[in-house]
Amino acid sequence: MEWDISTLEDLEDKIWRCTACGNCKTAYKFGPPPQFGEICPAGVEFGFDGMMASKGKIAFARGILDGELEWTDSFLDAMYKCTICGGCQNQCELDHKPFIPEIMEAMRRKAVKDGVGPMPSQKKIVQSLSAYNNPYQGPRRVRTDWTRPFKKAKKPIKNINKEPADILYYVGCTGAFNLPARGVPTATASILQKLGLDFGILGENEICCGSTAMRIGDAEEFKRVAESNLETFHQLHLEKGVKTIVTSCAGCYRAIKKDYILSSDYDKMMDGIKVIHTTDFLYDLFKKGELKFTGELPLKVTYHDPCHTGRHLNKFEVDEDGSKLWKGAYVGMNEEDCLYDIPRELLEAIPGVELTEMERIRDNSYCCGGGGGVMTGYGDWSAKNASKRIEEGMRTGAEKMVSICPFCHYNLNEGAKRINSHMELVDLVELMDQVIVE
Amino acid sequence: MVASGEDKVLKELVSIVGKENATAEKHIRYAYSYDLSFVKPKLPDYVVMATTVEQIQGVMKFANREKIPVVPFTAGTNIGGLCIPERGGILLDLKRMNKIIRIDTESHYAVIEPGVSHAQFATELYKHNLRWSWPVGPPSACSSSCAISHGIGGLSGRYGLNSEEITSMEVVLPTGELVRVGSCAIQEDSWHSCLPLPQLDGLFKGWLGTSGVVTKIGLRVHPIPPVLKVFTVSTRDIEDMVSYMFNLGNYEICDDLTAVSWWLAQVPIPSPYIPKPDGAPEWFCFGTTFSWTEKEKEAREEIWQNVLAEEQKKGTSIQYAEYPEEALKARTQLPSQIVGSTKNYTKMAGGGISWPGTFTPVNKWAPVYNEWKKILIDHNLSPSVRVTNYRGVHYGMLRAMIPFNKRSPEATENARQAIVECLKVDLDAGGIPYKPPVDFAAEINKRAHPGYLSLLRRVKQMLDPNDIMNSGKLGI
Repeated sequence: MEWDISTLEDLEDKIWRCTACGNCKTAYKFGPPPQFGEICPAGVEFGFDGMMASKGKIAFARGILDGELEWTDSFLDAMYKCTICGGCQNQCELDHKPFIPEIMEAMRRKAVKDGVGPMPSQKKIVQSLSAYNNPYQGPRRVRTDWTRPFKKAKKPIKNINKEPADILYYVGCTGAFNLPARGVPTATASILQKLGLDFGILGENEICCGSTAMRIGDAEEFKRVAESNLETFHQLHLEKGVKTIVTSCAGCYRAIKKDYILSSDYDKMMDGIKVIHTTDFLYDLFKKGELKFTGELPLKVTYHDPCHTGRHLNKFEVDEDGSKLWKGAYVGMNEEDCLYDIPRELLEAIPGVELTEMERIRDNSYCCGGGGGVMTGYGDWSAKNASKRIEEGMRTGAEKMVSICPFCHYNLNEGAKRINSHMELVDLVELMDQVIVE
Repeated sequence: MVASGEDKVLKELVSIVGKENATAEKHIRYAYSYDLSFVKPKLPDYVVMATTVEQIQGVMKFANREKIPVVPFTAGTNIGGLCIPERGGILLDLKRMNKIIRIDTESHYAVIEPGVSHAQFATELYKHNLRWSWPVGPPSACSSSCAISHGIGGLSGRYGLNSEEITSMEVVLPTGELVRVGSCAIQEDSWHSCLPLPQLDGLFKGWLGTSGVVTKIGLRVHPIPPVLKVFTVSTRDIEDMVSYMFNLGNYEICDDLTAVSWWLAQVPIPSPYIPKPDGAPEWFCFGTTFSWTEKEKEAREEIWQNVLAEEQKKGTSIQYAEYPEEALKARTQLPSQIVGSTKNYTKMAGGGISWPGTFTPVNKWAPVYNEWKKILIDHNLSPSVRVTNYRGVHYGMLRAMIPFNKRSPEATENARQAIVECLKVDLDAGGIPYKPPVDFAAEINKRAHPGYLSLLRRVKQMLDPNDIMNSGKLGI
């Protein structure tokens, strides 16, 4: 399987497209009314221009390429503190905009290739991936621990390795291994069962999607698991009739949608298979009238847009030669894949739920601070950043914050604990499960 | 970001601002070594982020004692290399001093810290239906730097430069002393006006960060009338456009009265140069007006119609012109990420943008533009020129946006040479470059009255006896 994963040198032309205007440093919309917000977690925390937004990272990339900057511990530290949230990318208007996260990750790939990356604290992710096929150092058998209540209730979840099913529920490592986030797969499976859908899981045979490896620059480890997954998906389609892969993990969803597509065999392997986030999947059923809410959930909530189900799914159109003039001369953006409206519509459809918005939402959502390997590499700072987001949520008067990413789930709850906040982050499926009956 | 303890300068800086806010790490310094312009990258030796006035005083006292250059920095987007250190030293990043201290909704002024961005300021002012003269720069750039560097904006047609909107200042001198100018100097909490006192604010405006660090600034703000009307015309040549802009400018009804050449009206600016299609107008003008009522708008429109008729009667090539919606947004929806990104300028060249930016009286626009056009075309660059009236017809701006491929040293040098040639023409015609890189400053000083240069040196010497502040930028 061939992979089209760019090196830093491949991206040199894009890197020189940055004018250093600094648009990327703050979130802003003209409105009216105008909306301003801090957008770069590393920039807010560490302040120096190099740490801030894509302007800073492009400077790093230029410095590496022109030979001015050599790897030092401090330089690596600065580079790995970026959460690759794409907040800066959302502000950029220049032609390198679509490649901004790619440039950041290409620097990390170079660091890994040069034998200096990732950060020592992140190396355990790669070691764990290599040893256990998950980043949590969890033995294979633990991967199905979350299914015990289903067995106990005599509603076992189908093992798709043994029995055919239309739907593969790809759980993801965070939902399976990260104890506080286990409510996400539990609620997802519960809803799928209540709806009588034919689904199964890979169980102990599920392996990591490779997202974290890719985000920290270990392309080889990413390719290993991604190739294995693509082959598994292909076989499941041929042998077990899988037509849909549902995932409730924003990271897995992003990886399969945007990273796996870099494989030369993607179209062949995924032929006949649709990948969909749980929220999107359930929304389709809701719109068709096949999913109904029963009862009431009197709750004031606010919604946190994960980076990986939001702006990371933007599609870009670059008018390379400027021939389209005016409107087309800017970088065109298509948000049709971004899950902004769907989770909000579902939330608002739950009887009793009142949605109140934070200041920074949708494409300008403020990252929880856990992405890009930061949660593993810099746990304290990651939680500190999450506290800031929790505080923003608290200012809305909401009782709970809702999201659709197990990573955000874990990190924002850590952030809440850190400041002794009453605010709790729950996944949308955890709420929905409470108002769906069989 | 922990500073190494072996460097004595760094150790002292850390003792003033804390270890998280001072560094000598090269990757951090590198990110401050270049900007959008052709100015050659140069690294500071240290970067310091101050969060209080006292810290700034501490840094300045130390730097003055040790004779270490200090470059004040907020966003570094001045297109003149003004924050690129000529002689190394300490880059003093002020972005963390970003409080809006006051918005006086009755007397219409605001007091802000140096790190307040246009985006932040616009958002807060709008809550009170107030605005400032937003420039066509990135929303992340800072309002205080725009004001003290004689920046311009969408209200400059009516109110003049943003530096004319300054009502008071608090400044740390290069020696570390704290001073105040304007009404806040007499009564601590009074920030409404620099007048009727001697205008000492002039010591800190237009000095390119060489005379002090502004720590608080009072700025006039203005109400937002609800009715917008933009008058758009085109002409075949600059002479006809000048005639129109003089005529309309006399009535002082526009917030912004700007014309752009065909090359600047293209998105993106053609690079390399291409000829204008035969028959296409060479100049396009938009006059932006805001009115409180429809009747007021109609009255302004009547004046404009009369001006148009008068110009047509003179036999000029003036015509009413439809202007693309995106271009009108760029003039009326400020601050703007799209305009601020310089995207429409740099797309075809790649990464670099510089200008001969000048204050040139309206009656000199035509001869200077015609010379610039020859120079730029000779360098295979588009004559993408803008002219703007300030405060009616009192003075005017003439500048050319020159995109270039920053990756190519040859293309960068070609742009630099063309721009310096253009500046010489403008200076000889009586214009003056603004936010000048050192190359331009040298050309200004060559022509300066000896008394002016002597006074400049003496004032600089008085304020900055060890020449530590943005050393070398004035070219004196």
